[in-house]
Amino acid sequence: MSIVLPLDEEQRDALQELLNISMGQAANSLAQLIETKIDISIPKISAVTPGQLYSLLFETEDSFYTRQSFLGDVHGEVMSVLSRAGLTEVAALMDYDDPLSKEDIQEIILELCNILAGACLAGLSDQLELTTNLNMPTLFQPDKSNFDDLKWQHSLVMEVQFVIAISSFSMRVVFCLDDESLARIKDTLDELLA
Amino acid sequence: MFEQLVGKLPVGIGVVDENFNVIYLNDFFLDRLPYELRQNYKETPVTELFQGEGKFLKRRLKSVFVLQHPSFSYWEQRPHIFPFKSSRPITGEETQMYQNMEILPVKDKATGKKLACIFLQDVTAQASYFRAQQKLSEALKKEHEAQRKLIRKLDTAQSQLIQAEKMASTGQLAAGIAHEINNPIGFVNANLNTLAQYASHLISICDGVYSYLENFNDELREQIEALYQSNHYDLLKDDITELIEESTDGLTRVKDIVENLKNFSLENSEGVQTVDICTVCNQLITLISAQYSVPQYKFDCELEKVEVMGNPGPLKQALMNIMINAAQAIHTKGVVKLSVRDSGDKVTIKILDSGCGIPAQNLKRVFEPFFTTKPEGQGQGLGLSVAYTAIEQHQGKISISSKEAKGTVVEISIPKQPSNASSATSEDLSIPSEALPTDTQHA
Repeated sequence: MSIVLPLDEEQRDALQELLNISMGQAANSLAQLIETKIDISIPKISAVTPGQLYSLLFETEDSFYTRQSFLGDVHGEVMSVLSRAGLTEVAALMDYDDPLSKEDIQEIILELCNILAGACLAGLSDQLELTTNLNMPTLFQPDKSNFDDLKWQHSLVMEVQFVIAISSFSMRVVFCLDDESLARIKDTLDELLA
Repeated sequence: MFEQLVGKLPVGIGVVDENFNVIYLNDFFLDRLPYELRQNYKETPVTELFQGEGKFLKRRLKSVFVLQHPSFSYWEQRPHIFPFKSSRPITGEETQMYQNMEILPVKDKATGKKLACIFLQDVTAQASYFRAQQKLSEALKKEHEAQRKLIRKLDTAQSQLIQAEKMASTGQLAAGIAHEINNPIGFVNANLNTLAQYASHLISICDGVYSYLENFNDELREQIEALYQSNHYDLLKDDITELIEESTDGLTRVKDIVENLKNFSLENSEGVQTVDICTVCNQLITLISAQYSVPQYKFDCELEKVEVMGNPGPLKQALMNIMINAAQAIHTKGVVKLSVRDSGDKVTIKILDSGCGIPAQNLKRVFEPFFTTKPEGQGQGLGLSVAYTAIEQHQGKISISSKEAKGTVVEISIPKQPSNASSATSEDLSIPSEALPTDTQHA
């Protein structure tokens, strides 16, 4: 397999800027839909091993996890970590009736991830002039042993956090790219920088 | 050609505009529309055509139009968005269709109008398979749990059996020893009493002689005094009574031990009769508070009388032993509480103390015969074993739980009416060892 070359500083800065813009758009989309203010963190870009990815994702028992794969010019997966806290308020904003059933909660989580991950990906692809299609999101429970068994050694991850201002709800979206896609992104970034 | 193809695809395809009005429906949707609506479905809001999850559908469509981003929905969370019948109307067990839905934003190339395309997938087969699997796995889980419970039960039963066997064989041994010791104790006790009498006679003879000493002539008097002195009469007179008293005390203790051993094997039975547990408890409190005055005693029972059919001797003995232990556990200040509960066909007696508690490593052994933590000579380690045997023979249960420095609770539950099998007569109660294999009787 090919070796993952770390991005050079210029590439990293460029990618970070692009991410920043697309995340902003994503936050805007969600804000528009639920009519509330959303804050985003500065995107973090790093190369991780499966073990590191696991510790990056897995925080506490008090979270929901989803994953969603995307195909097209670049391939990868988006994983999201959603806080359990504040979910009821968000549900109310999304027009769900209280009390929430288990199915309602699952649906809200999946929809939130789909909106945010979709918006981020769409924004990023747009700016890099790449076409991507996002598949259906699914719920999952990260398991340490499963991560240790993963076939890859390194992956580029881009991480951003969304916080909904009026509730304690927060959500982290983590993009992971495979090697081939990383090479393609690097080429595209170089083209943009040239 | 493409129109035909889209029309015949085995998934639902529908296109709506920004007002949610239907622009196109393929055969999948049309086949499921009421007959009279099939001709003029266009320009009607989709939520009107397909009533059901209208609110949800509107929300999702709105999100697609606003965000220009696909939206997904799964059967697990929202199984029936469109009110369609199962694809197996005759043989299937599902009456409503399970659906996965995806809404995509599209654009009319000619007019540039924003549209949304609804894809609907019939996943009834997968869903019913999945649900069957889930049911199966739940059933397996339940079965597994039941088996684990059974294994635990078997484990407890086995340890109880071992305990019971230990008690029975020790009880038999104890009864044998008690019987053997009882005879010599009998005559030693009788002899000692006579000896005490004889000794006092001898002493009065000697004292009498001494008081008449002045009446003897000098030579005789000197001889007698010399005799008294050479035999240390003063010392002997003081000591002999003390020696006999000590021996009597010792003998009483031996008798007590033997009595306890006999109690342990429950050979002294008065027969089964009605016993009022409340009266017994109150008697015991009076009895024990006289001897152990440090703890405060409390009695708690909602009823005035709680009667069981039982053997009063062993029952009293059992409660007494437990209560003495409770009282002895309290050194400076504390409470011994007795509570009696009538729960229909059985009676529960709780003896609670706020004393020193029992260390965990000893807790398992407290019912073992001759297990004691008291200094040598102060306890025989039979109290709780006696109680255990007594309660066991009333077909009851006894359990103990304790925390060091906090206290101990002993809980006894006995059936009000023991089943006839083992307690029809007092004889049955008194010879528990008959149930054992005969070889142990000769051992």
